[in-house]
Amino acid sequence: MSMRSQVYEWNSQTGTAATSWSNTNTGNSVSIFIGGVGNNITKPAETTATQFVVIEDVAVSPTAFMPSATVAKGTTYRGLIAGGNGSAGACNGVIGNRAYIQVRINTTDYFLDPDNVGNDGIPGAASPYPRSTNFQPCFNLYPDVYVLPGQVFDALVTCYQNSAFGSSVATNALSAFMKYTLYDGPDALIANKLLEMGISINPGNVDWYKRTLIQSQSAAPAMA
Amino acid sequence: MSMRSQVYEWSNLAPTGQTSSLRRTVDAVPVAVPTNREYDIFIGGIGNNITKPAETTATQFIVIEDIACSAYLGGALQVRINTTDYFQNPDVTDQAGVPGLASPYPRGSSNDAAADTLEDYTQLLKSFDLYPDVYVLPGQVFQILYSLQSTNVATTQTTVVAAFVKYTLYDGPDALIANKLLELGVTINPNNVDWYKRTLIEQQQRSRVAAVATNGGSA
Repeated sequence: MSMRSQVYEWNSQTGTAATSWSNTNTGNSVSIFIGGVGNNITKPAETTATQFVVIEDVAVSPTAFMPSATVAKGTTYRGLIAGGNGSAGACNGVIGNRAYIQVRINTTDYFLDPDNVGNDGIPGAASPYPRSTNFQPCFNLYPDVYVLPGQVFDALVTCYQNSAFGSSVATNALSAFMKYTLYDGPDALIANKLLEMGISINPGNVDWYKRTLIQSQSAAPAMA
Repeated sequence: MSMRSQVYEWSNLAPTGQTSSLRRTVDAVPVAVPTNREYDIFIGGIGNNITKPAETTATQFIVIEDIACSAYLGGALQVRINTTDYFQNPDVTDQAGVPGLASPYPRGSSNDAAADTLEDYTQLLKSFDLYPDVYVLPGQVFQILYSLQSTNVATTQTTVVAAFVKYTLYDGPDALIANKLLELGVTINPNNVDWYKRTLIEQQQRSRVAAVATNGGSA
């Protein structure tokens, strides 16, 4: 199994009280792997010398927009919580966390504003997790993001709405998702070769390259 | 990473007492958007803005693949390249552009922003696809202009409106290839840029083999 489809899901409320998302995190970018909030892994996500990762999708909790002052804070709309500063009063019209997810390779942010400054990344309203009839994607991560051997990669969540994250896993109010394919061993070498050749790296093309190698090998003895 | 999928999201949210801010701020509040006027979502002075007009450098090529905006209040999005509006009426007069009802953001949102009917709403799907894509050539300035027909301000409330643009940024050698594809009349997308690269590599290999053959087998 040297090509494997992989997923990683992050939920802001799976940690202890000390490591669950709180309003102090709002406005800051937090790694979904090692950010110290929600479920984390033991070390930064990175590829070894014999691995190649292709990130195919990233998504984060969605946001809904509506008039201000018509919904009370704490009200639930389409599964999202009306938050905002303080616990009482009317919401500012943003329902949900107003969350974004950025991909970082080593120290470089993938998504930029048109003035070439790194931005917050993909809005949850454009790439929602989970998807529903209420919240459908209008973003497709294409071309994919390649993580070459030896590189560190990260996904950073930033929110701009206080008190909309829920209080338990059950509320599932702030979560993120990443789907990627891990190429290992010989398939990682082939992925590198495809990259040199300017061919998109996906399981179909890796298989095509293998078939080409086998055909050329079987043709060589026939010629000899 | 010389071909990159990029997004920009705008909303009329700004810190209390301001009409706009650079980047985004926590717990921002909605501000008024005057009706029947076009506002650049990048530097229009309302909501989250960036530092300078959106433009491509001499080594960049942008392909705009999708635009969308809030489906209520008669919102619409227009694309302007330098001084030319992309969407026109059949009589070549100005129009507001793609209605939010045709390309809603977020997808699945309601055509009625009123929050008093939480159990009674529609879930809009898109009926518009930006195809063929819009090309922004090196050195061009582009604007995404948002306008609405009904006011977003009532006695006690202001409605949040948002817009979204998805584009692919080709930089460096890939921008040169994009220009070449444009000359050839080939659609510019990541697949075709990769195809052109493969063609170049194959040509180089063929000429190398031919050179070896010409030299009698020695390189």
